[in-house]
Amino acid sequence: MEHILSLLVFFPAMAGLLGFLVAKESIRAYGISVSAIEFFLSIILWIGYDSTNAGYQFVEYYPFISSYGMSYYLGVDGISLFLVILSTFITMIALIALSIEKEIKNLIISVLFLEMTMVGVFVILDVIWFYAFWELSLVPMLYIIGAWGSVNRMYAAIKFFLYTFAGSVLMLVGILYMGFLYHEATGIWSFALPDWYLLQVPFETQLWLFGAFFLAFAIKVPMFPFHTWLPYAHGQAPTIGSIILAAVLLKMGSYGFVRFSLPLFPDASVYFLIPVAVICIIMVIYAAMIAYAQKDMKQVIAYSSISHMGIVVLGTFAMNAEGITGSIFLMLSHGIVSGALFMLVGVIYDRRHTKLMSDFGGLASVMPNFATIYGIMLMASVGLPLSIGFVGEFLSLVGFYRISWVMTLLAGTGIILGAVYMLVLYKKSFFGEVVHAENKTLKDLNAKELTALIPLVALVAILGIYPKPVLSVIDMSVQKMLVLMDQKAVLQETKELLFKANTIGGTN
Amino acid sequence: MENYLYTALFAPLASSLFVALFAARPKMLFTGIVASLLIAISMIASFVLLIDVNTYGPLHVSMMDWISAGNLEIPFGFVVDEVSVIMMVTVTLVSTIVHIYSIGYMDHDKSFNRFFSYLSAFVFSMMILVMSDNFVGLFIGWEGVGLCSWLLIGFWYHKHSASWAANEAFIMNRIADLGMLMGLFLIYWSVGSFQYDEFFASLKTMDSTLLATIGLFLFIGAMGKSAQFPLHTWLADAMEGPTPVSALIHAATMVTAGVYLVIRCGELYTLIPDVGFAIASLGAFVALFAASMALVNNDLKRIIAYSTLSQLGYMFVAAGLGAYWIALFHLMTHAFFKSLLFLGAGNVMHAMHDELNIKKMGGLYGSMKATAILMSVASVALAGIYPFAGFFSKDKILEVAFNEGAYFLWFALFIGAGLTAFYSFRLVMLVFFGEKEYEKYGIHPHEAQPFVIYALLPLGLLAIVSGFLEHTFEGFVTRLLAQYEIHIEHGTEALLIAATLGIALSGIAFAVYMYRRGGFPKSWEERFCYKLLSNQYYIPKLYELYIMRPFSALANFAWQKIDTKVVDLTVDLIAKMVYSTGEKSRKMQSGNLSDMLRWMVVGMIGLLILAFVYRPMV
Repeated sequence: MEHILSLLVFFPAMAGLLGFLVAKESIRAYGISVSAIEFFLSIILWIGYDSTNAGYQFVEYYPFISSYGMSYYLGVDGISLFLVILSTFITMIALIALSIEKEIKNLIISVLFLEMTMVGVFVILDVIWFYAFWELSLVPMLYIIGAWGSVNRMYAAIKFFLYTFAGSVLMLVGILYMGFLYHEATGIWSFALPDWYLLQVPFETQLWLFGAFFLAFAIKVPMFPFHTWLPYAHGQAPTIGSIILAAVLLKMGSYGFVRFSLPLFPDASVYFLIPVAVICIIMVIYAAMIAYAQKDMKQVIAYSSISHMGIVVLGTFAMNAEGITGSIFLMLSHGIVSGALFMLVGVIYDRRHTKLMSDFGGLASVMPNFATIYGIMLMASVGLPLSIGFVGEFLSLVGFYRISWVMTLLAGTGIILGAVYMLVLYKKSFFGEVVHAENKTLKDLNAKELTALIPLVALVAILGIYPKPVLSVIDMSVQKMLVLMDQKAVLQETKELLFKANTIGGTN
Repeated sequence: MENYLYTALFAPLASSLFVALFAARPKMLFTGIVASLLIAISMIASFVLLIDVNTYGPLHVSMMDWISAGNLEIPFGFVVDEVSVIMMVTVTLVSTIVHIYSIGYMDHDKSFNRFFSYLSAFVFSMMILVMSDNFVGLFIGWEGVGLCSWLLIGFWYHKHSASWAANEAFIMNRIADLGMLMGLFLIYWSVGSFQYDEFFASLKTMDSTLLATIGLFLFIGAMGKSAQFPLHTWLADAMEGPTPVSALIHAATMVTAGVYLVIRCGELYTLIPDVGFAIASLGAFVALFAASMALVNNDLKRIIAYSTLSQLGYMFVAAGLGAYWIALFHLMTHAFFKSLLFLGAGNVMHAMHDELNIKKMGGLYGSMKATAILMSVASVALAGIYPFAGFFSKDKILEVAFNEGAYFLWFALFIGAGLTAFYSFRLVMLVFFGEKEYEKYGIHPHEAQPFVIYALLPLGLLAIVSGFLEHTFEGFVTRLLAQYEIHIEHGTEALLIAATLGIALSGIAFAVYMYRRGGFPKSWEERFCYKLLSNQYYIPKLYELYIMRPFSALANFAWQKIDTKVVDLTVDLIAKMVYSTGEKSRKMQSGNLSDMLRWMVVGMIGLLILAFVYRPMV
């Protein structure tokens, strides 16, 4: 168990390297086995995780370039644990559902490398390494979109790469400056996040640093107005790319807020709370409206991701355990639900080679199983209670209500607008008569697709009915982080807001 | 007793899941029978609990934890007290009958199995709604019934109108749900818990503005489910669903969930009489408003739907004015006679091959006597004629309005009573009596299967006798709900009852008189009033013109203009600028030595200026 995190990070990449030696015929089975082993490793991690300990566990620390304070430093806590499991799980499911034949070997190796960077981002505690994984994650995705995408794939891939890359450059400056600050204060260099957590940063500096990190995270999430790469990327990416992008890569941004922005710069986070919340509300409403206007099924889900990520970030900035725990849970649930929805769109695209809703209609009578699973995911997406989607959304909104009820009301319109675009999509595609002759002979889900989708359906129900094992682990680490924020805050107002946000009573 | 509680709650779930296994297969009779049996078991368990609560008092169980984060703890907890047990009994009783009825009604439907799965899922959601011991648990049921309503309204999904109506219902309810959620959030941050008992216990410590805000938010939620103005349009459109669904969901149970919420939060609304009065006023308005639309409609099911809307208004008047037990009583009696009315209408529809226009019926009494009698009984009960059930419950509501000094509300309800009697008998007359219009369309109506009629008999019986349970009922539920004393002098009270009975009877008499003589002249249909009413006050049209279309236009604008033309173009412009700068400055690298020397001089001058102007740390 000592090196389980290193194993989790590098096993997929090593297996990916070995994959070059595997014969083309057996590469799919190889990829699925590797991702399944990786998934079981992450489950072992959860089993071994001590849920009474809010701090970092399975810590591995080796000096790397000690003269500059760089180290190889791994650890997992309640905030990252389930994001790791989400990454390994979604990779496995996406590989099971994979239907691409062309150059499949390279694709699977790319996915395995991508898995390394995803797990790496979530468990690494050294910020330089974090930056490396963060940027490395772009490469396999660039390749996946650029090589296996649709017609306009080059534009989309390059846009995705350059946009997110440009955003991260400022973060690098921020990281270096933060390291410099640490050196100023203590006389030693360190890029270890737990060390940085102990550093109180002056308010003015916090504002600048918050901004530098914010841009990188905001582009990744993606937050309005930095979101336009996402529709292109989803529009052109192959199904597996969209699934991983929506389910995991976007969560890196929102994870960044929880892991970096809030605990490192508590005063700046509180200072920028309202502007960030305004952006979130714009995301929720604006993206939902655009989703409604789409004609392409995949674009609806792409924009709905933006809308949901608005709630995620809003919950994070609620500054209380309810909201932050909720927003992390919402990251998980959105990962599962949007992953499933993209997979479902892939299923129908494989059969019809179109994603336009006007080309469908009446699918419910031709493909009842497909329609049922789509319906379940749709209901999870609109946040129906007892489905996974409700828990995180409810907690995020509950949390933010403490900050501002008007803003919560505005963000809450997401539950209405979400129902609008999703139900309209469902009506256009699944209800009505079968008008197109091609649709009359469509085959329902096959065994491979069911194997991939049924675990997702099961999770939607299980974590909707009994989310507590997950929530309690997240909650403990979140509460620890809130204490840290309170200790580190330099301004009295910040402490007051944190106190108010976490106390019952005195509302009006 | 816990076992009975779990049986009552989970038997419908078991039914739904079991039947769902066969959902995709062609009709299998046993799915309907198994579902009906399991719902009946739930009903029996509910009756056992009723007796138990009567003897030993309420039952409260906590099944397991659900959500916990920060200070927030939400369990799956259930409470069977005087109010919830009444709801459970009403819901399961009507549900059992509707399930049995549906075996006959859905006989020829190819999705027979799927129907029973949905119907049982609805019963389960409704049981969660009424049995939950906290607001979020209630919200599970609240959304669950919304989902089932969506599935069942859109059951015949190949019809555009059905799936449209299903979406309309879901979305309208979601609008209201947001209000309700806001109320829940406010409750949480004021009390720190969603449990009913903790919330009610801390009511005294909260100031009245806070209470009023909570009360209003919760009522917005109630307005959606109970289809109160202006969120009422979905209910009439929901008649696209199969008729048993209309009877169960859109008459007897789900739509009364809003009333249940207000009754459940009676302790809250008692403290904020102004909000209560606003609820009552809205209720009285809807009572009259909906009844007026029922006057001219020719659609068999829509008339009954408007009538439901109107009766919900009555219930809200009682609940708003603090007479919670009376509201609950009317809720119960209404569930019996209104579901009977709908199920009877289902028989008529089957006989008429799904024809809904009552102008094309007439004279059906000859071929379907049993249905005609049952529907007449239900109509008399609805009109509020002694000794039928509606008389006891509805008359009480009028007395409450009078007792509170809300004479205006009383008058509205009084007129409403007359209208109710008129439209009910207009329907009965046009469907069962008069000229046999259907012969022109070559239809040969036939009575429903005997077991369907037998299934309706209990409802018929209850529509007649349940009014006499008034005092038992009052004694039982007022253990939990506030007492309500009516202080009207005996003489005045008798006069009021006589007046109400009088207007109801004259409504009936007028309807019978007019439609015996062939109804109103055709020319009336040209009048403004008629058009206004038959177009539902043009409200659906207004919604389409001023909400749906602008929303679509704005959405398209946001996508095609703002997102692609402004936001994305800016990004591309920046990228292009970088690219073109590189492209242009490439010319500097001409490879010509003198060019390079010139650029070197430019660079040196630039650096010198910089060194001169910018001097840090001096």
